[in-house]
Amino acid sequence: MSMFLQACVNGLLMGGFYSLMGMGQNIIFGVMKIVNFCHGEMLMVGMYLTFILYTFFGIDPYLAVPIVAVTMFCLGSLIQHTLITPSLGTKSFTNLLFLTVGLGLLLSNGALVIFGSEYRSIRTAYSQTYIQLGPVTMALPRLISFGVLIVVTVALFAFLKYTTIGKQIRAVSQNPVGAEVVGIDVKKIYILTYGLGIALAGTAGALLTQFYTIFPTAGASFGFRALIVVVVGGLGSIPGAFLAGIFLGLLETMSALFISPSYSDLIVFMTFIVILVVRQTMIARRK
Amino acid sequence: MKLRKLTSLLCVAAVAMSALSGCSGSGGSETTAATEATTTAAAGGESKAEAEGETEPAGAELTGEPIKIGTIYAMSGGSAAIGTNILRGIDFAVAEINAAGGVDGRPLEVVRGDHAGDAATGRSEAERLITQEHVDVMMGCHMSVVTEVVAQVCQQYGVPMITAISTLDRLSNEEHKDMDYFFRLCPLNSVYVEDMLMYLRDSKEQTGEEIKTVAIFTDRAAIGQELIRCVELFKDEYGLELVATVDYTSNATDLSAQVLALKQANPDAILCDSYIGDATLFIQTLKEQNYSPKMIVAKANGFTDPSFITNLGSIANGVASVVEFNPDLTNGKEINEEFKAEFGVDMNGHSAESYTVVWLFKAAIEAAGSAEGEAVKEALANIEINGEFPGGRKIVLPYDKIKFENYDLAGEAHYRDNTSASVAIAQIQDGEWKTVWPFDFSDTKIAYPAPLQ
Repeated sequence: MSMFLQACVNGLLMGGFYSLMGMGQNIIFGVMKIVNFCHGEMLMVGMYLTFILYTFFGIDPYLAVPIVAVTMFCLGSLIQHTLITPSLGTKSFTNLLFLTVGLGLLLSNGALVIFGSEYRSIRTAYSQTYIQLGPVTMALPRLISFGVLIVVTVALFAFLKYTTIGKQIRAVSQNPVGAEVVGIDVKKIYILTYGLGIALAGTAGALLTQFYTIFPTAGASFGFRALIVVVVGGLGSIPGAFLAGIFLGLLETMSALFISPSYSDLIVFMTFIVILVVRQTMIARRK
Repeated sequence: MKLRKLTSLLCVAAVAMSALSGCSGSGGSETTAATEATTTAAAGGESKAEAEGETEPAGAELTGEPIKIGTIYAMSGGSAAIGTNILRGIDFAVAEINAAGGVDGRPLEVVRGDHAGDAATGRSEAERLITQEHVDVMMGCHMSVVTEVVAQVCQQYGVPMITAISTLDRLSNEEHKDMDYFFRLCPLNSVYVEDMLMYLRDSKEQTGEEIKTVAIFTDRAAIGQELIRCVELFKDEYGLELVATVDYTSNATDLSAQVLALKQANPDAILCDSYIGDATLFIQTLKEQNYSPKMIVAKANGFTDPSFITNLGSIANGVASVVEFNPDLTNGKEINEEFKAEFGVDMNGHSAESYTVVWLFKAAIEAAGSAEGEAVKEALANIEINGEFPGGRKIVLPYDKIKFENYDLAGEAHYRDNTSASVAIAQIQDGEWKTVWPFDFSDTKIAYPAPLQ
C-alpha cells in the first residue's frame, strides 16, 4: 500500500511536468496547427538560462522562473516573427516540420558548443531536503515545483478564458478566417501564442533544474512526451493536455509498479497507439 | 483531413522516437570522452612537448639503433581525449626507460599512428607503421573493433602486439586462437563483472555481513545487456541470488519507478552500469524515495565521470565502482606523484596500463636478446613478471603478476590473456575515490552501509 501511495505521488509530481510541456505544445498546435518539434530543446534552453542565472547572478532557481518565462517568451516571439510566420504563408507542413526540427538541432548543438557536453546541476541549500508524509517521501524542490505548476496552469486557464487576448487566442484557434474578419490581428496572436508556448516550456525547464541534470540533449525525452500528451489529450485542448500529462505520469509509475519497470515505456507507447486508433475509428464512424 | 493529419503526426512521432533513441545511445559514450577532452585538452599540448623534449636528450646518450614501438590510438576525432591519456602513459615509460639506459643499450622510440576512431583507418595506419616506419612492436588500440583489425595486420607481418586496454571478451576467443602475435594485458569485460562479485564476497571480511542477494540496475542499451549476461554467468559460482533486474531507457526523465522496484526487491547489493545523466538521477532518486541500499557497486562509466561527485555532493558518498587504477592504490601512489608532476593530471587506468605495456616490451626484448618479431613473440608467450619488472618498478596496477596464458573463462576458451589481471574497487568517501579492494592494495576500509549523505 505504501508503495502504491508513493508511486501515485511520484506519478503526479512527474505528470505535472508532462502537463506543462503538453499545454505549451498544444496551445501552439491549437492556434497555428503546427507541431513544434523544438519544444524539448526550449525546455533545455530554459534549464541553461536558470543555470546561468543561478551560477553567475546567484538567483534562486524559483525566483528565476519569472525571468526565464519572460526571456523565453521574447525568444519565442522573435522566432515566430522572423522564422515561422513567413513559412506559414507557404501552407506547407513539411516546411514547418523541417524548420522546427532544424531549430531544435541548432539549439542543442549550440548548447553543446557553448556549455560543452558536461552534465551540470544546480544544488541549493534546500535541494536535498526530503519531506516525510506518512509512508510517502517527497523531495522539497519537487513539491515546490508542483505547486508552481498548479499556479501556472490555473493562471493559463484564467488568461485564456477571461482576458481579451485570451479570448482572441481562442477565437483564432477555432476559426482563423472568422477571427480575421472580425478584426483580430492574427499575426499578432500567432506571435503571442508561440511566445506563450515557449515560455511554458522554459518554465518547465527552470522548475526541473534542481532534481534533473542539465545537458544539451536534456529536452529530447520531455519533448517526445509532450507530443504524446498532445495526442492523448486532444489536439488543441488545453484542459485535455493537462489531464493527459498527469495521466501519462501516473501510467508510467503504475505500469512499472504493477507490471514491471522494464515494460513501462512499452505500455506508455502502446496506450498512445491504442488511443490514436480508437479515436480515428470514432472520427471515421462519426463521418 | 484530420485523419490524415493524425497519421502523419504519428509517423513523425515515430521518426522522432528513433532519432531520440539514436541520440541517447551515442550521446552517452560521446559525453564521457568529450568531458575528458575539455579537462585534458589544455594539458595535452604542453605535456606532449615536454615528453618529447625529455626523450630526445636521454635518447641521444644511447648509441644503439632505436627500437621502434608503433602505437595506434585515436589522436583526432571524438575519442582523442582517451588517446591523449594513453600516449602520456607510453611517453612516461619510454622516457623512464631511456633515462635508465634503454633496452640493452638501445633507445626506445615511439612512432604514432592515428586511427581516428575508425577500423579502416586503423588498418592502413598499421600497414604504414609496419612497412614504412618498420616498427618492431605494436601497441593499440582503445576501441576493441579497431584492435581486432590492427591485430590481424600485425599477425600477417609477424609483429608482436599487446593491447593495453581493449576489454571486449571476443578478442581472445576461439576465433583468434591462431593469432599468436597478439597478447592482452587488461582484464576482460567479464572479469570486470567477476571482480565486482568477488568484491561482494570479500566485503564480508570487513563488514561482517554476507551479501546473498543482488539486483541489477542498468541501461537498456548494450552496456546493460553485457552486465546482465556477465552476472548470470558468475552468480552461482559466487553463491549470489539475482533478485531483480531493473532497466530503463537512456536519459530517463524519471527513475522513481525503477527505484521503487529495487526497494521492493530489497537486495543486499545493487550492481549498476549507467551513463552519467542517469547515474546522477539514480542516486538522487534513491534519496527521494527514502531508500538506502547498503551497497552499490558500479561498472565505472557514468559513476566515475568527474561530474558525478560534483553534481551530487555528499549524497554520492558510499557509491563504489570498478577502477583500473586509482591514485591511492598502494602500488601506484609513487608513480602517480611523478606522473602528476610531469603532466599536471593524475594517472588514470588507461595511462597506467599503457605504461605497463611499454615495460613489458622492454622485458620481453631483453629476454629475447633481439627485437626480431618471432623472438619477441616467443619471449612474450613465456614471460612471467612477479611483483616488479627486472631493473624497474613494481607493477603499478592492482595485481602483482603478469603472464599470458590460454585458459577457460566460464566455459569458453581464451588465448594469450594476462590471467592475473584484475581491476580494483574504489568507493567514494568524503567526496573522493578511495581504493577499497583488493584489500592488499589499499589502506582504506569499506564504508558500510553506504552512507549516501
